[in-house]
Amino acid sequence: MSSATPTTPEQDALLRAGIDRSLRHPVMFFLTSGAAWLAVSIVLGIMASAKVHSPEFMSGCSLLTYGRVFPAHINALIYGWGFQAAFAVIIWLMARLSRKECTAAGIILAAGHVWNLGVAMGVVGILTGFSTGMPWMEFPAFAWPVLLISYFAIVIWSFIQFRVQPEGHVYISQWYILAAMIWFPWIFITANTLLHCLPGHPLMASGINAWYKSALMFLFFTPVALGSAYYLAPKVTGRPVYSYSLAKLGFWSLAIIAPWAGMQKLTGAPIPYFMPYLGAAATVLLFIPAIASAINILRTMMSSPETLAASPALRFTAAGIGGLALLGFSGVLLNLPDSTLPLTQFSLSGYGFEILALYGFFSFVMFGAVYFIVPRVTRREWLSRRLIKIHFLFSVYGIIAIVLFAILGGFEQGIGQEDWKQPWQSAADRAFPYAVGTTLAWCVILFANVFFFIHLALMWLRLGRRSSHPTLLAIHHSTVSPHGEEGDIDNAGPGSMPAH
Amino acid sequence: MSLRNFILGLSASFGIAWLAMVVVPFIKMRNLEPIHLTEAVDGATGIFFPKRTGRIANGAEVYAQNGCYLCHTQLVRPTYAGNDLYRPDWGGLKSDGDRGDTRRETNAYDFYGEKYAQIGVVRMGPDLSNLGRRVESIYAVGKNPNDWLYAHLYNPRMSPERWKSTCPSFRFLFTEQKIKGSRSLDALPFGGGEDFELVPDSDAKALVSYLMSLKKDQPVPVALNFSPVKKVK
Repeated sequence: MSSATPTTPEQDALLRAGIDRSLRHPVMFFLTSGAAWLAVSIVLGIMASAKVHSPEFMSGCSLLTYGRVFPAHINALIYGWGFQAAFAVIIWLMARLSRKECTAAGIILAAGHVWNLGVAMGVVGILTGFSTGMPWMEFPAFAWPVLLISYFAIVIWSFIQFRVQPEGHVYISQWYILAAMIWFPWIFITANTLLHCLPGHPLMASGINAWYKSALMFLFFTPVALGSAYYLAPKVTGRPVYSYSLAKLGFWSLAIIAPWAGMQKLTGAPIPYFMPYLGAAATVLLFIPAIASAINILRTMMSSPETLAASPALRFTAAGIGGLALLGFSGVLLNLPDSTLPLTQFSLSGYGFEILALYGFFSFVMFGAVYFIVPRVTRREWLSRRLIKIHFLFSVYGIIAIVLFAILGGFEQGIGQEDWKQPWQSAADRAFPYAVGTTLAWCVILFANVFFFIHLALMWLRLGRRSSHPTLLAIHHSTVSPHGEEGDIDNAGPGSMPAH
Repeated sequence: MSLRNFILGLSASFGIAWLAMVVVPFIKMRNLEPIHLTEAVDGATGIFFPKRTGRIANGAEVYAQNGCYLCHTQLVRPTYAGNDLYRPDWGGLKSDGDRGDTRRETNAYDFYGEKYAQIGVVRMGPDLSNLGRRVESIYAVGKNPNDWLYAHLYNPRMSPERWKSTCPSFRFLFTEQKIKGSRSLDALPFGGGEDFELVPDSDAKALVSYLMSLKKDQPVPVALNFSPVKKVK
């Protein structure tokens, strides 16, 4: 039985190979269909962003009006790419860390198809004019029970794996993933029942929606990404996590602070006064878990600088964790009541902050995980170091540009909005150049991801390199092949592969 | 730490915030206490009831489906949270013909008849809290305000002073139809031709009716009025 604790390195490697094999189809399904949704979302994002400054761009048809393309873009990014990448990471990491083979791959795969169907119907629903008009919950109301049921069918097995794992150490990654698995349904059921099923005050509905957006960012995407980073950093470098108490501080401060955040979007609205202020305070305080986790993970990676330079998985994860630090810093910068909050409450900065969270932090960490997981489950190595490098560099350029244009442009716009002596047009004029810049930045991100999509599709077709040498980014000056000497034809044989 | 303690810890840290920020305020705000008017200060007796007319529920749906909330807000913040009240036509009118300065901040009764308050995401365009009043008193003086809104929705850049507007055109909410007998009453003054006319669809009519219901001209009871005393002309 594979559940017996392995004693020798060979048995251990066999167990890992068995886990990877058992999850190959669900993981590859989530990653490839997630990547396809990412492509859809980026193309819609470019269209939406172009319409902000050139309203006549593709304006002939009702399907492609800004008010439908933009929600389709953001919902495809969240539910199409974000959640599916998270599912792949959750099921794979939990199986590896609990040392259990997955016995429900078929059910997970079927539920994954249902999830995709739900997202597809939702996006089509938005484009054909059935949007609910609640940010991040624009899918028509039929979609949420479908998503919820398939969510349970996908992650419940990971929960069971954790319950039945042999006695032993619980890793910090498991804490994060378990927490995300519990928080998400709680948040999702709360928001959807209160907004769709129970009549309430319209302003409170709006407040709950703002809370939902923030909770989804900080209590689902953040813990999944941190779980992945806390796994990869020690695994790839082969060094222990820098500080265990810092990891605990990061986890519990996130758990305590994040549920209060979000309602600062309603500052000045006639809801109980404490709510927007607590929301703003909590978003500012999220600096603590962000910095604690970022320092801890980056210090762990720095313990082996040569691995950090060579491993694509670590490089993407490190960039994503840099994004987390920046996210914590922007949370402080954007949400100070009486100084910056009036400027950013209704400006482009909010979008910049969300894209920083979803792409600059979460997606980068997910890319890191993809570069680590895919060779293991497909038993093929990535084809080209150059494709990985282009994906990395242009993604970094693109996200830095979006963050600069949207967050800083949002300040410019906010200053114009607050300048009540000037006509309204002056606020719109101030935002114009930054809107153009955001469109260009999305084009750069599309360019970067084209290489990712091609590379991932080739891996999915099992056209990766059959080699025992991982594809590393560092160039070694040697006379042999840049990938090292050719080893045995099939990799991942017992004990043949060092972590990379 | 055992799984049980871990889940208890998560439930406590999340549950307290969940109750305090979401569940209890939701229940408390479901039924707001009625505001009693007093003769001495409000000049009326009974209970304050927000007045709003138009196809609010239908129009709010069209507003949501076409993403108006992505660029327009419906929130006039008090001065501690922003400068919205100083704009001459956002929270009311700076110089209303009979009543002087009618500007006020948004109150909890302004969204009467809607399921979801479209506070909005980004202000790419102006706040719409007082749009109905603004169109009547400023944009379409002496004309039919509905016609002004139809023309604006059809092409927001038609008027020369709005050439820079980045509002999308909602041409798809209008239909070109053959004129049978005389022209329709709500046909647009342009487009079509000798035999054809451009008329708003049912969605456009609902949307315009909803937009015209966005007014802040009803006097509010003193209990809801936080503005400093203003000079009445």
